[in-house]
Amino acid sequence: MRLSYKWLNEYVSLEGITPQELADRMTTAGLEVEGVEPVASATDLIIGEVIECEAIPDTHLHATKVRVGEGADDVYEIVCGAPNVRTGLKVIVALPGCVLPGGTILSKPVRGYNSNGMICALFELGVDKKWLSEEQLAGIEELPEDAPVGERNVLGWLGLDDTILDVSLTPNRADCLSMWNMAKEVGAILRRPVHWPDYEGKSDVGEPSSFKVATATKNCTCFYGKVVNHVKVGPSPKWLVNYLHSAGMNSINNVVDLSNFVMLETGQPLHYYDLAKLPHREINVVDDRDMKITALDGVDFEIHKGDILITTGGEATGIAGIMGGEESMIDENTKAIFIEAAHFDAASVRRTSIRLNLITEAAQRFTKGVEMGAMKKAVDRSVQLLEKYADASGFEETQIAGDPSCTPVEITETLTHCNELLGTDFTMDQVKEVLDALDFKPEINGDEIVCHIPGYRIDMERPADVDEEIIRLIGFDSLKETLPVMEATVGQLTPAQNTRRTIMNVLQANGLHQIVTYTLVSQDYIDESFDPCGEAISLSMPMSEARRYIRTSLLNSILECVQYNEAHQNTGNNFFEHSFVSYKGGEEERLAIVLDSPLTEDRLHKITVPADFYAMKGILTAVFGKLGFNGSRIHVKENTCDTVHFHPYRSAEIWLDKTRLGVFGEIHPAYAAKFDLKRIVYAEVRLGPVLAARTSKVRFAALDRFPAVTRDIAIVVKKSVTGEDILNTVRKAGKKILRNSEIFDIYEGEHVGADEKSVALRITYQADHTLTEDEITSAHEEILKQLTNKLKAQLRA
Amino acid sequence: MEQIREVEEKALEAVRNAEDLAALQQVRVMYLGKKGSIQGLMSMMKSLPKEEKPAFGQAVNQCKQTVSDAIEARNAELQKEALAKQLEEEKIDITLAGDKLEVGTTHPLIMVQQQLEDLFIGMGYTVAEGPEVEQDYYNFELANIPKDHPARDMQDTFYIDPNTLLRTHTTAMQMRELEKAKGRTPIKLICPGKVYRRDDDDATHSHQFMQCEGLVVGEKITLADLKGTLTAMANRMFGEGRKVRFRPSFFPFTEPSVEVDVSCPFCNGKGCSVCKGSGWIEILGAGMVHPHVLEMNGFDSEKCSGFAFGVGLERVAMLKYGIDDIRNFYTNDLRFLKNFDRFD
Repeated sequence: MRLSYKWLNEYVSLEGITPQELADRMTTAGLEVEGVEPVASATDLIIGEVIECEAIPDTHLHATKVRVGEGADDVYEIVCGAPNVRTGLKVIVALPGCVLPGGTILSKPVRGYNSNGMICALFELGVDKKWLSEEQLAGIEELPEDAPVGERNVLGWLGLDDTILDVSLTPNRADCLSMWNMAKEVGAILRRPVHWPDYEGKSDVGEPSSFKVATATKNCTCFYGKVVNHVKVGPSPKWLVNYLHSAGMNSINNVVDLSNFVMLETGQPLHYYDLAKLPHREINVVDDRDMKITALDGVDFEIHKGDILITTGGEATGIAGIMGGEESMIDENTKAIFIEAAHFDAASVRRTSIRLNLITEAAQRFTKGVEMGAMKKAVDRSVQLLEKYADASGFEETQIAGDPSCTPVEITETLTHCNELLGTDFTMDQVKEVLDALDFKPEINGDEIVCHIPGYRIDMERPADVDEEIIRLIGFDSLKETLPVMEATVGQLTPAQNTRRTIMNVLQANGLHQIVTYTLVSQDYIDESFDPCGEAISLSMPMSEARRYIRTSLLNSILECVQYNEAHQNTGNNFFEHSFVSYKGGEEERLAIVLDSPLTEDRLHKITVPADFYAMKGILTAVFGKLGFNGSRIHVKENTCDTVHFHPYRSAEIWLDKTRLGVFGEIHPAYAAKFDLKRIVYAEVRLGPVLAARTSKVRFAALDRFPAVTRDIAIVVKKSVTGEDILNTVRKAGKKILRNSEIFDIYEGEHVGADEKSVALRITYQADHTLTEDEITSAHEEILKQLTNKLKAQLRA
Repeated sequence: MEQIREVEEKALEAVRNAEDLAALQQVRVMYLGKKGSIQGLMSMMKSLPKEEKPAFGQAVNQCKQTVSDAIEARNAELQKEALAKQLEEEKIDITLAGDKLEVGTTHPLIMVQQQLEDLFIGMGYTVAEGPEVEQDYYNFELANIPKDHPARDMQDTFYIDPNTLLRTHTTAMQMRELEKAKGRTPIKLICPGKVYRRDDDDATHSHQFMQCEGLVVGEKITLADLKGTLTAMANRMFGEGRKVRFRPSFFPFTEPSVEVDVSCPFCNGKGCSVCKGSGWIEILGAGMVHPHVLEMNGFDSEKCSGFAFGVGLERVAMLKYGIDDIRNFYTNDLRFLKNFDRFD
C-alpha cells in the first residue's frame, strides 16, 4: 500500500523522524517498506507573478518579467516556452540554482534575452503525470489569483510536501490498510501516542427513516444504511485531492472522494448511492441470483448463485463489496445520498472478484478481512465529513440489518511460555511495555498476561500471535543462537536415497553430466512419449501450450537438451537425468541417459570409446553391478516395446528379474531427425522396481590358490548365432572347472562365408586343485563338441 | 709359468677392451672356451715334470678364475650401460597432455541439495519425500491456508482439478510427515524437491524451481534453536563466520514467522553490490510451527513446539556460485554445467 508520511503525521507525531528512518523502523518491525518517494522535489522555488510577457519573434518563446517580491531586485527576466504564459498569471518560479528532478536551473541567455530561472509545470517538480490534466501537462502551472507572491515554501503551499512509503503488507496485516490502524502500528513501533479524529457517535443523529435495509444471506452478516437528504456536490478541497492522490486514487467530486477517504481512514469499504436514482426506498442483500449486471464502468457481468448482490425493489444495483451499479452513481446533480457500510464474507467476495476479474480496492479489503467495528466508524466519520465538506443535512436514522456486535478478543499468555517458545529471557516489564504500546491493555496476574485485543487486530487469535508481537517490537537482535536440545535421532539416507546417489556416482565416474529439465511439456511431447507411465495429466489453466502437460516420459526433454547443446557447438553432450514422471494414477521414478558424443575421444593417445549401443550397455551394466544385481538378474531382450523412437535392430529391452525396466539403444534416425540429431544413444529405465528389489550383499569369496589355465579358440558360425548362444553353450558344456568364457573378437569378411562370422573365445579353467592336462582336455573337447553339435560351429585352424 | 701370466694379461686386456656384450662373449670363447687359450695351457701340463704339475695346474686355475671374474664384472658393467642406453631411448615428452578422461558433473541444484542433506543428516535429520502432484489438502489446507484464504494469492498455483495441483512449496511434504507422525515426537527432517508456481520465466523467476524445507518438532523447541540451526546452515553453505538476522514476516503455517538474512559472504557484511550495500542477503523464510498446524495434525500444541524453514535451492546456488540467470539451471548448457566439475 501507498502510505503518505504527511497524512500519517496527522495521527502520530513523526517529528524528528525522516521518511527513510520511518521506513527502516517499519521494515524492522515487519512492515516491509519497498520504496520511499517524494511526491515532488525541488529546492529554491518561489511564487511569482508575470508582469511583462512579450513574444520573441520567429519562436514559440516569450520573454517575461516575473515579480517575486516587493523589492526592486525581485523581478526576474525569464524566457518561457509554455503557450499559456501571460501577463498577470501567478506562477511557480524555479530560481537559478534550483535543483529539480530533471536537473539544475542555470542563468543563461536564450536567443539574446536574459533568462534567470524557469517558470514550472507541476510535472517538472516530479508530480506524477497521471494526476495532471491535459492543460497542466501542456503548459506551466496556473496558480490561483490569491497565491502569495514571494512564498518560498511552494511545495508546502501546494500541499505537495509529502513522501510516499510503498509498504508491502503481509496478508495477516490487512488492518494496516486503514490509515488509522496504520497509525496505531507506527505508534507502537515508535512508542509514540496516537490520536484518531474525534469521530465517535457522529452518525447518531437523524429523523426516523422509512428506508428499509435487509440481508437475506449469511454472507452479509451486517448492513448499515443511512439516508442523507441534502448534499452539495462540488470539487474537493486541495488536501483531500492530495491525500487521495497519495493513496493512488483519483479525485471525482467531494462526495465520492469522501467515501474513498473514509475507506482509506477506517479500512471499511463504503458505497454512496444517489438516493434519487434508487427507485425503491429499500435495499436487500441476496446471493441466490443468476443474471447479468452492468457495473459502474459500463461492463456487463455474469452473476451466479453465491455472488452477493445489493438489490432494490428486487433489481440488482451492485455486486456487494466489489462494485456499484451504473444507475445509482453519484454525479454533479446528486442532491441526496444513501450511505452503505456493510460486512461481506471474505471468501465469497474473493471467489466472485477473482471469477469476474474485478480486483477493486473494496474487494481487496473485504478479501483480506475488515473488522466488524469498522462499519460504525465509517458511518460516523462519513456524517462528520459530509457535514463539513458537502454541506450535508437532512440525516435520517441509521438503519442496521443483521448483527453489528463484535465480540472482544482476549488472549491469555504466560511470560514463561512466551520465553520458552522464543528461547528468550524477557522480563515482565519488557513484555508489558510492548503490549501497552500496542494498546493491548495487558492485565498482569503473576506469570499470566491477559491481553484485550483492539477490534481492528483481527489477526490476533492465540498466544503465539502475542509472542510474535512481543519479539518483533522488542527486536530479534536479542535472540540467542542455540541448537535444539532433544532426544537423539539417527540421521541417515534411506536405502532408496543411497541407491540414487550410487547411480549418480557411477554415471559421473563414466563421464556423464547431470541435468535437470522442466516437468511441464507440450501436447507433442506427450503424443511422442516413450513408454508413457500412463494417461497424461493436463493442467486446468496452463500458462502456455508449451507447458500444458506433466510429462509421462523423459525422452523428449532430454533430446531437446542435446539439440540445444549441439546447436551451441558443445561437444561431449552425454547426460543423465533422474526425475519423476506423473500420470493420472500416480507417479513413477525414472532414469534417462543420453550419449551423443564418444565417452572418450583422444586422438593424441589414440583412445576412443564411441557412443554406441555397447557403450550404453556397458554403462548400464556398471550401474546395476554397483547396485548389487548379480549374474543374469539384469538382462536384455529383443525390443518389442518401442521401435518408433528406437532403432529396431540396435536397441534392447532391459529387464530386472521378471520386470521390464525400459529400453536402451540408438534412437530411430527418423525420430532423431526431429531434433536435428543423427546417431544418438538413449536409455530410459524405471527405477521403482530397482529400488524395491533385493540386492546381493557384499561377501568375501576365498582367493583361488591354484593357477588358472586359459585356452583360446576360434569358431565359424552362422551370423544368426548370437554371442549369448555361444557363451551359454560353452557354460553348459564346460563342467565344473570352467571359470570364465568371453568373446574377444568377431570377424566377418572375405575369409568366411557371406552368412558366417568367425568368433574368437577365451576360455578359463580353474579348480580347487592344480588341473591336470587330462581334465582340461576333456572339458575343452566337450565344449568344442557341443559348439559343433548345437550351433553347427566349425573350429578354425 | 711365464706363459700363464702372458695369457692372463692378454685376456684381461681383451676383457677391458670389449666394447659390448657380443665382443665380451667372443673374449669369453677365446680364453675360456673348450678350444680357448686357458684350456690350451692345461694341455701343456702333460709335458711337464710330475713335481711341477700341481703348481702349474693351480696357476692355470687361478688364471681361469681371474679371467672369469673379470669377464663377469665387465658383463655387469656392459649390461648396466645397455639398460641405461635403452631407457634413454625410451624418453617421452612429459609435457604432452594425459589421456582425456571425461569426469561427469553434478547439477548445481543437486549439488546444493546434497550439501544440505549431508549437513542435516549430520545433525540427526532424515530426508523426507513426497509427490509433486499433490492434493490441495496437504499443499494448503493442512498448512493453515484454507480455501478462499487470501494467503493463497501469495503463490499462484498450477491446478489440475479443484483438489489436485502441482505442489507450490515443499511444505506439502512437511504436512504429510506431520500427519504420518500421528502426534509422536521428536520429528527432525528436511524435505528437498521440485515445486511449481505460475510465474513467467525470466532471469529471476521460474515456473519450476527447487526448495528444501526443514522441520523440527519436540518439547521446548525455541525460536533461538531455529536461529542456531540456520546459522549452522549459513556457515556450511556460505562459509564460516556467517551471521544470521531475523526480520518479522508472515507465513500461514508459522507463528512467529521470520524472513532470514545472512551476513553477506562477499563483503563480510561491509556492504557491496551483491547485498546492495546493506551487508545482508535475504535467503529464506522460517518460523515456529503454527499451533493450529500442530493441532490439525494431531499434536498437542501445549506440550510440544517446533520450527520450520524453507530455502530456495536456486537462490542459494545463484548466490554461492554467482549465477545471474535462473534459466541457466534448466537450459543445461554444457558450458554452464562444467562449472560444477569439482567437490564443493
